[in-house]
Amino acid sequence: MSAIVVEARKLSKRYKDVLALDSVDLKFEENRIYGLLGRNGAGKSTLMSILTSQAFPTSGEALVFGGSAYENDAVLSRMCFIRESQKYPDDFKPKHAFKSAALFYRNWDQDFADRLAAEFRLPVDRRIKKLSRGQLSAVGVIIGLASRAEVTFFDEPYLGLDAVARQLFYDHLVADYARHPRTIVLSSHLIDEVSMLLEHVVVIDGGRIIIDDDAENIRGSAVVVSGTAELVDGFLAGRTVLHRETLGSLASVTMEGVFSAQERREAQELGLGLSPVSLQHLIVRKTMGDAEWSAKPAEKPVDEAMEVPR
Amino acid sequence: MSRVVAVASMQLINKWAYVGTPLLVLGGALALSLAIYAMVPTDEVKYGGGSQAPFWYFLVLGIQSMTLVFPFSQGLSISRRAFYLGTLGLFSLMAAFMTGIYLLGGVLEEATNGWGLQGYFFQLPWISDGAWYATGAFLFVAMMFMFIIGFWFATVFKRWGTNGLLIVGFGSAAVLIGAAALSTVLQWWGTIGAWFAQQTPLSISGWAALVCAVLAAGSYATLRRATP
Amino acid sequence: MGMIDDSRPIFVQIAELIENDIVDGTLAEEAQVPSTNEFAAFHRINPATAAKGVNVLVDSGILYKRRGIGMFVATGARAKLVARRTEQFFEQYVRPLTVEARKLGISPQELGGMIARAAGAAEKEAVQ
Repeated sequence: MSAIVVEARKLSKRYKDVLALDSVDLKFEENRIYGLLGRNGAGKSTLMSILTSQAFPTSGEALVFGGSAYENDAVLSRMCFIRESQKYPDDFKPKHAFKSAALFYRNWDQDFADRLAAEFRLPVDRRIKKLSRGQLSAVGVIIGLASRAEVTFFDEPYLGLDAVARQLFYDHLVADYARHPRTIVLSSHLIDEVSMLLEHVVVIDGGRIIIDDDAENIRGSAVVVSGTAELVDGFLAGRTVLHRETLGSLASVTMEGVFSAQERREAQELGLGLSPVSLQHLIVRKTMGDAEWSAKPAEKPVDEAMEVPR
Repeated sequence: MSRVVAVASMQLINKWAYVGTPLLVLGGALALSLAIYAMVPTDEVKYGGGSQAPFWYFLVLGIQSMTLVFPFSQGLSISRRAFYLGTLGLFSLMAAFMTGIYLLGGVLEEATNGWGLQGYFFQLPWISDGAWYATGAFLFVAMMFMFIIGFWFATVFKRWGTNGLLIVGFGSAAVLIGAAALSTVLQWWGTIGAWFAQQTPLSISGWAALVCAVLAAGSYATLRRATP
Repeated sequence: MGMIDDSRPIFVQIAELIENDIVDGTLAEEAQVPSTNEFAAFHRINPATAAKGVNVLVDSGILYKRRGIGMFVATGARAKLVARRTEQFFEQYVRPLTVEARKLGISPQELGGMIARAAGAAEKEAVQ
């Protein structure tokens, strides 16, 4: 087991009458890519803010490199967290923001930042105030990548980025991580887009951690069984059912667990359809019940992401 | 320590906020004052309050360094302490630099008999009556005072939001009004007036520096738990 | 090259992709296999996951490591894979075929005839 670089112990955060984090226990290991997934308002940003000491917990402890990051230069200088709504000095241009980052991050790679800015087509000489939402996100993404901090948090870094720019980000993230391994925590509600980049997945819902597992363990951990309702229900008796849909006499049921070869054969012989469940689909099933999954980027219709494979 | 210096250098990356704009405000105020002096048809010595313009800009800078630079500093993983010391340090340098310009301007005014117009912008009665270092101390402390007041109010706002700002604002007003009322009731105004009449720019600077120190300590205490 | 999907463990899929390339001869025995980082970048997957897929093949003797140089296809890897896949072929394809045939009332003899016909067509296609 590798060294633990980030740890949350019974972390809770209460805002007036809302419990944003509910006794969160977490450990992030060195040099892995973590996905912090959950719906809008699930507590992702709050958790990252507290881990980086930008905000304070109501109770519990947040440790980075074994100590609190609060007012601790030795810890702070090794991590980077650009918020989704990051503010910049009023008269700053992207190039000023990059120069500033260079002052504080010892692994800062200016060439890399320049290349990224060119690829994102970021106008580095325009005032940040006047940038579009996507360009603003690009500034944060570039600081996060080029800082090469040992622990880097990305808070929904794709907001306003078009599909091409998002792909650019994911490609650079994988390539640069391969060359310079570090711990990366990527918060997102676009699970389909990021899931393949993740080694470990933490799903937070209503301030609680509901999944904390290696992505590979989660993939293939559920199956959709479809066919005549009677047969499906009989076949799945005693199994954990995550979701059930019916259409007339037909049923489509998402089941947690794996079938043995023998069971697969039985299903086949009963004429039941078995289809795999994607990571996103599984998480959606686990976090929402009947509610809608959170907002998607405009070019990706909600239906498509929500579609249940049959 | 190096991160404190880096905080100061970071804010100087864009020279405008800390160097360009205050000089521009000062230059503009000077030009405007001279234009007015030239138009006033009198041979008497003229004074104006235009030189206070940059002071108001410092108030704005104090507010902005908290509302905008502080959140950015958090994004760059800068501790609140390093941000505070770096920002306050930078502002002290800035105030010292501007004080130097005011003193030089005063010397220039004297040499040119008020720009040839008998108009004085830097050399003002009372402030410039004493030794140069007394004038300098007064200007420096006054600039620091403006900055720290802005910084402190913005810190209160960051920490406790609009409600906090209102409470502190009304609270300070209530204390001042209360003190004034008390002075009236106790008939202290005469004494207070006499006390002020006795003060020199140097002694006022001392008192103001004390207030600055209290406010600066208050800002730091408030900033310790502020969130971006 | 085939695409990776998110509904099964990715390391399994990476291993399968490499196996496919060995079975169809794209990767000859003793040829060098792309590095895990190249796999990761190409498929846009986590490098650790790609490494896990490659390691599965190292453990089963399909690939071997040359220190400081990279991964290579072992001699005899293809024969090993073909033998394993023949077994899987029965489970994955032949058995479902017979289940479906019985549903449709196709007798084993008829099924055999159909298979022979399809195989003939496939051969012809391959010749052309």
